Amino acid sequence: MENNIIRKSKVWSAEKIEEIQEKAELGRYRIRGQATKRLDLPSFDDLVFTPAGLSRVALEGYREKCDTRVVIGEGKVKRPLVLETPIMVAGMSFGAINANAKKALGIAATRCGISTCTGDGGMHPVEREASEKLVYQLLPSRYGLNPYDLKRADAVEIVVSQGAKPGTGGTLLGQKVSEEVANMRDLPLGVDQRSPCRHPDWMGPDDLGVKIDQIRIATNYEVPIFIKVGAGRVYDDVKLAAKAGADAIVIDGMEGGTAASPEIQLDHTGIPTVAAVVEAAEALHEIGMKDEVKLIIGGGIANGADAAKAIALGADVVYIGTAMLVALNCNKSLYVEDYKELGTIPSACHHCHTGKCPVGIATQDPELMKRLDPEEAADRAENYINSITMEMQIFARSCGKSKVGDLDPTDLRSLTMNTSMITGVPIVGMGSRKPYWARYEHSTETKELVTK
Amino acid sequence: MESVKEAVFIDCEVTPLQEINEQIAEAAKQGVKEVIIENPQARHNLGVGITNPINLIYKGDVGYYAVSLCDYVTAKVEGNAGWAIGENLMHGEIVVEGNAASSTAASMRGGTVVVKGSVGARAGIGLKGGTLIVGGNVGYMTGFMMQKGKMIICGNAGKALGDSMYAGEIYVAGEISELGNGTEIVELLDEEYMEIKALLESYGIKAPPAFKKIICNGMLHNFNKKEFGIWKTIL
Repeated sequence: MENNIIRKSKVWSAEKIEEIQEKAELGRYRIRGQATKRLDLPSFDDLVFTPAGLSRVALEGYREKCDTRVVIGEGKVKRPLVLETPIMVAGMSFGAINANAKKALGIAATRCGISTCTGDGGMHPVEREASEKLVYQLLPSRYGLNPYDLKRADAVEIVVSQGAKPGTGGTLLGQKVSEEVANMRDLPLGVDQRSPCRHPDWMGPDDLGVKIDQIRIATNYEVPIFIKVGAGRVYDDVKLAAKAGADAIVIDGMEGGTAASPEIQLDHTGIPTVAAVVEAAEALHEIGMKDEVKLIIGGGIANGADAAKAIALGADVVYIGTAMLVALNCNKSLYVEDYKELGTIPSACHHCHTGKCPVGIATQDPELMKRLDPEEAADRAENYINSITMEMQIFARSCGKSKVGDLDPTDLRSLTMNTSMITGVPIVGMGSRKPYWARYEHSTETKELVTK
Repeated sequence: MESVKEAVFIDCEVTPLQEINEQIAEAAKQGVKEVIIENPQARHNLGVGITNPINLIYKGDVGYYAVSLCDYVTAKVEGNAGWAIGENLMHGEIVVEGNAASSTAASMRGGTVVVKGSVGARAGIGLKGGTLIVGGNVGYMTGFMMQKGKMIICGNAGKALGDSMYAGEIYVAGEISELGNGTEIVELLDEEYMEIKALLESYGIKAPPAFKKIICNGMLHNFNKKEFGIWKTIL
């Protein structure tokens, strides 16, 4: 019975078949949370550090200091943003996550001397109280925006787009638009919220310069102003943002997270973070503003290796969002029955959009929220931030650098041709040299031929 | 005890932008009643982020973001206004004697913005409260994604009027080129008309004889509906 052989198709994979059949049922595209699940993207894992040996001296891990501090807006604003380690908690809205999660992240960030970020939806008082350093996002939606919160911010981030879904606005499904969320956003209770993708009061880079001036006046020239752009046309966008007057530019790679997005967009828009950081750094170098404008990179950063490699490629700071939620307990093997009810399992959950988060983070349901103790969660997030800092220091010290920010592309080698081409980092085994067998000047035969 | 000044004069021709705004903010903080801004020369960002009560008189045209991100501020522009006058106004009142450019009263949260002439595209975009009154016409995408508040337009409206609005009311006296997605025209009650008429007359604008009332039809912003036409159009 030769036809009884079960042979899976790569063309018509189980996932593809499921996707088609779900669309046939739904009559629309799929919406989900988290991030792209593509496995074929070039990533920071394709790079390795080339630590010190005879040609360079490593630092003693226990004795010699390795500086991690970064200052944004130094010499430009009255209150520059000082980060004790080159990590920032990325913007996640009150609405996408709840006040307990905001509080936990705020406590952890404060203990580590770094910032949190409001995300869309306004500045929640719990978050402001918990966060010593808080970045206030100014988005096309302008939810919750007011001059008082602007003046209470430690930095302002003008969001052009998001890495998970560049070119579109936000989405928050009705089950998460609770009374408090609706009030903060001036929306009808329980409405499926879609926010605009363009700012209401400026259109292009020239206008953006005027907008930045406006925010500087409204904040009394006190705090730095960032521009955040989803990674797409990075090279040009970074130049335009820098020329518009930003103190820092945030580039969010396609691995960036979201609470709700069309799935097809997660997988098919934007460029990977490892490519984005190189383009961004190149653009700033080209216009001579690399030292003047800080570069913040986000999108799938999970550990100290990702962070240190991003910095070596030109970033000053990394933005971490999804991994922070994972540290809080996202996708942890707790309340497994609830994961099952959502049709998923711990470690594969992406149901942030449903508002039924089993671990009480991406939900506004008061009962589910009780599952996240902000104090305990803050301890976990703090530990996680500290571990990344230590990991970054390991790489810097081993490369002979007394400052994490001194890591540079020469500290890296690429494991794959793809990533070597993308980043310009030489592939392992080649360096910048030609192999000895390719050096024709050493060949007697060649010399003789040339002489003749 | 030094008495509070009734009025402060600022000449924009000789004053840097930062100083202009600092002088306005300081005057408001000190309880000065009025600041007269002379020679505004259509400069951008004149009167930004003021959160203490004060009355601003602009003796000419203003550029982008005049009286923006303000609270409890009243203002009169004796000329035309650039983009986004009254952006994010919380409380207060702004009257523009001439025309205003695009994004007038964008994301306004409260108070009243009156433009006696016409305005450009995206008037009252993302409106979150308050009232926008336009004596003339409005452009494309006026009231896009409006969330709350009221707009009264005495002239004509461009395409995509009120597109994707969540709530609030738009009143238009003239022609509407095209209604936006998720909107509908509903009956205007006599008492509503009388209220609008009185409001317009309080600003010296003669009320047109009739208005069309536009509201959200409740069709959008419900992503579980299997209505391909809506999805195709808006998402």
